Amino acid sequence: MNPELKQALVDYLLAMADDELILGHRNSEWCGHAPILEEDIAFANIALDEIGHAIVWYELAADVLGEERDTYANRKVYFRDAHEYQNAQMVELPKGDWAFTMLRQYLFDQFEMVRLEKLTQSSYAPLAEAAAKIRTEEMYHPRHTQAWVRRLGLGTDESHRRMQTALDELWPYALALFEASTRETLLIQAGYIPDTSILKATWLERVTIYLQETGLTMPTNVVALSRTHHTEHLAALLSDLQQIARLDAHARW
Amino acid sequence: MTDTHNGDTQWPRYMVLHQEQDDKPHQHAGTVHAPDVEMALLNARDVFVRRPDCVSLWVVRADLIFTRTQEELTLHPDWLESIQTTGDTIETYYVFAKQTQKGQFSHLGEVEAENPPHALKMALQKYSDIEGLAWWVFPVKAVLKSTPDDIAAMFAPAAVKDFRDQANFHALSVLRKLMRKQEVGE
Amino acid sequence: MYGATVEPIEDIRTDEEKLAEFEARIARGEKIEPGDWMPDEYRRQLIRMISQHAHSEVVGMLPEGAFITRAPNLRRKLILLAKVQDEAGHGQYLYHAAETLGATREEMLEALLSGKAKYSSIFNYPTLSWADMGAIGWLVDGAAILNQTMLAKCSYGPYARAMVRICAEENFHRRQGQDIVITLAMGTPEQKAMMQNSINRWWWPTLMMFGPHDTDSPNSAVLIRWGIKTKTNDELRQTFVDQTAPELMALGLTIPDPELRYDETNGHWHFGEINWDEFWNVVKGNGPCNAERMATRRQAHEDGLWVREAMVAYAEKYQQ
Repeated sequence: MNPELKQALVDYLLAMADDELILGHRNSEWCGHAPILEEDIAFANIALDEIGHAIVWYELAADVLGEERDTYANRKVYFRDAHEYQNAQMVELPKGDWAFTMLRQYLFDQFEMVRLEKLTQSSYAPLAEAAAKIRTEEMYHPRHTQAWVRRLGLGTDESHRRMQTALDELWPYALALFEASTRETLLIQAGYIPDTSILKATWLERVTIYLQETGLTMPTNVVALSRTHHTEHLAALLSDLQQIARLDAHARW
Repeated sequence: MTDTHNGDTQWPRYMVLHQEQDDKPHQHAGTVHAPDVEMALLNARDVFVRRPDCVSLWVVRADLIFTRTQEELTLHPDWLESIQTTGDTIETYYVFAKQTQKGQFSHLGEVEAENPPHALKMALQKYSDIEGLAWWVFPVKAVLKSTPDDIAAMFAPAAVKDFRDQANFHALSVLRKLMRKQEVGE
Repeated sequence: MYGATVEPIEDIRTDEEKLAEFEARIARGEKIEPGDWMPDEYRRQLIRMISQHAHSEVVGMLPEGAFITRAPNLRRKLILLAKVQDEAGHGQYLYHAAETLGATREEMLEALLSGKAKYSSIFNYPTLSWADMGAIGWLVDGAAILNQTMLAKCSYGPYARAMVRICAEENFHRRQGQDIVITLAMGTPEQKAMMQNSINRWWWPTLMMFGPHDTDSPNSAVLIRWGIKTKTNDELRQTFVDQTAPELMALGLTIPDPELRYDETNGHWHFGEINWDEFWNVVKGNGPCNAERMATRRQAHEDGLWVREAMVAYAEKYQQ
């Protein structure tokens, strides 16, 4: 693998890992605060899956670079600052209400499923294998989030209103999930990753049909936000996430 | 329909029946609260399959389970005889029983019956060789089941979460070594 | 559901006969199942104990939950999240056991949130450092396991079965706590100091978890007679100290009790007297975090109300 391609691949893997880590982190904030005990448990499972998948991607990046997996993953998570993180803004937004959380998870799950379907065909075998493994675990998420989104969309006036508000707020961020970085061209040419614009078309069709069935109105005239920026929420999140690890970078915890 | 108390609802209860291996019967795991049977199956997965020991899950509304204990049946042998058939439509019921003091309710089989007490009567006849300490019968059609296709997405992921496995912590061996060293030192 | 179509079974025995038979069954080691006759007091004590235990699991998610976002490496983060999730699961199993006695979760939660029901006082102490995750896992969960192992043999079937399930998972909790304590105790001087400080804060509250002395425990005798408990508060507390004190000391940690010493005459560790004023004060709701814990639970409960209602509304519209 030439150095430029290698770097592009590492960046791509880190962006995927960061998305999953930050979303998992936000989801984990519900544990102990969910609307019903069963969901404290269910949503913690989703958070565990997301963080677990982040680790798979960090470790794959470590493999590409020939670094030690665990050390690399923890260094990336605990010792990068906000501007070095490559996650989309959508996942760093505060957890909001249950409608916001569920809809964000739904939009992200659908994005991931579309992407993972294609990544299983990657010409870079380790990536294809990891994608296949993660996809099996992820298959449960859309089932859970779809069930919730439909029920909240069609439940009461209040739940419907909250879902519509969440959709209006999340939509520009969701569209930004598909913003391709310039270096992705190299990876697409190498057959490593799918073309993001194709993913977007599939995703858009699926979520539009489903959300309309749940009585929601799709936002129009929306400009997608950029993936390269962060909100101030990320720095606050990281100062919480990293504070103990940074007490002593060389200590074992 | 739903229980409420001071304006709160925790949703109806669903009994969860859990199968550890293909060749073992379904056993009672517990209950979940859920707004409907589809959510009950999802909740059952999250509540009862956090560790990798499941190949199939069933859920059924708890209030559809008809139950009698051995004590109830022994005290009143005439109750059983008083159960009449009424000419209603026959349907299939699952039979579960608890057979040992420390045991769990587990699946014995099915009977055809007109109503729940009738199903219990049929079950006691069919399984007369079994000492049931407590019995459950409930209509097969009320049960929502996971399918073999669900195994990969619903049950297999628990196996990846090996960080829950206490065998992966080596604290005790470190500790014992330290304590041995101190004894020798003394 | 079928109550209307089925004649209820009438029990013609006298109360004395029922009680004698009930106690004979317990003496034979039989499990009481829902539907079996039981004294009202047995039912009342069980609902009180089980719901209190369930509440403890649910409130117990909060002090550790606060550190999920801050866990110092990825593996610890997964472990802590899985552990707090297990606690929700344990609360869930226990509410189920109480439900088999006729209590509804709505009623039990209302009793908790209105301040009527109690939960374990230990969760009214604050978590201040990462080391507290170790202390809670080892000390608090270690103490809980002794109690739970006993209850897994209790005379009420659904409670015993919930406990069997809980004990299996609880061992993971204790083990991960020991792992943290050992790592910090053998780590840098700063880490070791952090661990020592944590033990200093959690040792006594853990000993209080076993409850008042047997002589001051009004429920103990009847609970033991009916096979709900098989050991007294003081017996369990002694077992805990005997087990835990030498292990912590082997790690070079100090136990904040000047009276603590091994008594060769009886083979047990002698320990000082608990500050019972503090104990009763926390039980009465004046602990460091009582108000905060309840406020957090109430907030979650109220924020979730529209969600629970919407799900019921959907079920009524589309599924029935």
